[in-house]
Amino acid sequence: MIEVAQAIAGGRLSGRLWIVSNLDCNLACAFCLTASSPLADRRAMTADEMLRVAREGRDLGFAALGVTGGEPLLLPWVPEAVAEMAGLLPTVLLTNGTLLRGRRLEEALRAWAGLPIAVQLSLDHPDPATNDAGRGPGSHASVVHAARELALHGIRVRIATTAAGLPPEEWEALRRLARDLGVAEADHLLRPIARRGRAAGLGSAIAPGLHNVPAELAITRDGAFWSTFGTTVRDGRLDTDLLLTRRTAPLSLPVRAMLDVAAGRPPRGKTAQGFR
Amino acid sequence: MPRVHLLAPHEAPLTVRDFFAEGDPGPIAASLAQVPELLGPAMAFVGAALGPGAVDARAREMVVLRCSAVQRCRYCTQTHSAVALDAGFSLDEVRALRGEAPLEEIFSDPRDLALLAWTDAMATGPGQIADGLHAALALHFAEHEIVELALLASATVMLNRYCSALLLPVDEEHLRRLARECLGELRD
Repeated sequence: MIEVAQAIAGGRLSGRLWIVSNLDCNLACAFCLTASSPLADRRAMTADEMLRVAREGRDLGFAALGVTGGEPLLLPWVPEAVAEMAGLLPTVLLTNGTLLRGRRLEEALRAWAGLPIAVQLSLDHPDPATNDAGRGPGSHASVVHAARELALHGIRVRIATTAAGLPPEEWEALRRLARDLGVAEADHLLRPIARRGRAAGLGSAIAPGLHNVPAELAITRDGAFWSTFGTTVRDGRLDTDLLLTRRTAPLSLPVRAMLDVAAGRPPRGKTAQGFR
Repeated sequence: MPRVHLLAPHEAPLTVRDFFAEGDPGPIAASLAQVPELLGPAMAFVGAALGPGAVDARAREMVVLRCSAVQRCRYCTQTHSAVALDAGFSLDEVRALRGEAPLEEIFSDPRDLALLAWTDAMATGPGQIADGLHAALALHFAEHEIVELALLASATVMLNRYCSALLLPVDEEHLRRLARECLGELRD
């Protein structure tokens, strides 16, 4: 679809197509956008569905793929699916990193070797106790271990820090830690806490909306969204304000809707009528 | 209490925000917005099928209200009882269309009676509409008008089932209006 390429080139659409593999998580962070937890509804996509979206995304002109959750690595097929996706387009996997250990880590390292895969791990604070207070016990140590192993095996590591108002000295300490783990400066991302999901009541957080969230198509089992900031859950209900379409097959359907919104055009099929 | 969440304006999906531009779009649109790609086409279809056409407004409203009453759709019957009163139907006519009085005691025009007998068959089903009912209708309506009426009745039945499946709530103002007119809840 030539319009996708044009929209990406023109900065109206991100080149990365996101796939939200599931909404549950082994952790239950206080600021989680998707209000994920071990008890959350999984709402998982199958490997076939993820790959169908990835293939169609490549064919439509997207330049990169991303997989996020929930915690994608709760799904046993995700490492292999990510490897297959990376055979189509460069792929980034967002994970809290706490499950990348033992046999799961070994299998992932084998599956991902030599492929254009980046793994984005969550690390919010240089101090393990402070980090783990928000993320869960042992998460700091797990992430540091996983980052080292991934880097050792030549897999690009990104670190995402979700924080609001981290003091400069703590941010600097975190940057040093990331550097020590082999993470490039540009691959250490500071993400603001969004006023969605479990942080919906947090007044200091930023409320994402059409005006401040870039167009980054996100496909979930429950539909296509303007951004991964839109695939959020509050009180067990998926937010719909950044929903584009429920149907995601063919992928051109939500892509068309997204381009329409991005261009400020009225949605197709809208007609004037007064029926309530 | 509706069986599905009716989206509020602040929950309106990006692609259908126009429907919420003036606030609550009503329960049909607010429920359909859960599947935004259906909202535009569905409302366009409903608007075309139930909107003005070659058949006069009075005949159209008779079909909609009668279908809804036969189908026992609370949302459509109560809503269109108010619409019918606004459109100039008498209280007795509305009561008869709702099944609360014999049609033949209130309606005497052969055109009305032919239309209502045909409408009852459309709303009741199953199977084809009897030749006699069609022939009686054809005495008063041209072919293209019968096509319109057939789509109008069919779309109404579709909406009846949709609203009844989801238990869509009737507008409180409509209910107050009907109560003032001594038109209460539907009888089972």
